[in-house]
Amino acid sequence: MNTNTNLPNKNSRHIAPERIVQLLTRAAQQLDDNTVAALRQTRNVALQRQSLSKPVFALSTGHNIRWLLPHSTHQWMAAIILFVAILFGGVSYWQHAHENDLSHLDTAILTDDLPLEVFVD
Amino acid sequence: MRNLAIIAFLLMGLTSTPAGAATTSWRSLTPAQQEALAPLSQQWDSLPEQQQHRLLKTAKRYPNLTPEQKSRFRDRLEAWSKLTPEQRNAAREKYRAFSKVPAEHREQVKQMVRQNQEAKVRQSASGVPATPPPLQP
Repeated sequence: MNTNTNLPNKNSRHIAPERIVQLLTRAAQQLDDNTVAALRQTRNVALQRQSLSKPVFALSTGHNIRWLLPHSTHQWMAAIILFVAILFGGVSYWQHAHENDLSHLDTAILTDDLPLEVFVD
Repeated sequence: MRNLAIIAFLLMGLTSTPAGAATTSWRSLTPAQQEALAPLSQQWDSLPEQQQHRLLKTAKRYPNLTPEQKSRFRDRLEAWSKLTPEQRNAAREKYRAFSKVPAEHREQVKQMVRQNQEAKVRQSASGVPATPPPLQP
């Protein structure tokens, strides 16, 4: 049994690329209508799949969420430091706003024309 | 290891609030702060740091007050500082709720409070107790 039937012919290496293009073009012109229609349909399906997959990936990472996750220790460290920095900034901002709010309220209570006893049990 | 140390440092910074700092002595206050907080000069050094911090924040607004407001501020400051944190929080909540009442209703309440106070003053001046004595069984 000859096992080399599926292997490319060694002689094909010597065919010039232009010659291959000519042969393919000629062969394509000789295809019957059914084959051409099937190829066209397959091409259209492939194009549709391609155009659908791109926006899905852009809008929501979907199954490609792993791209967002850090891959190395350094990336993990950077991500953690970034997270801590954002958390610290958020907490500081909230604390500052809360302190301002309280001092504003305290001043208002201490200076209101209603006596302090009205607000204190 | 170095990165872990950095993270630990950041976490420490995150968890440390102004309450974690040392108390501020009366002598270290600026003249403006001392003027605003003068009624508390005696007990200032013994106040908890968090209360000191909040009072200092409040004192920052003192220079912008009218003379009448400044007088009220100083008169009430000692009583205010003697309240428990829970009482102060409750007072803030009451004040916040009262601020949301329509202006005309707020004015009515103020009028009632004024009348009540005047009645109390008259009663105390005449020697009659402000509240009737409890009924005997």
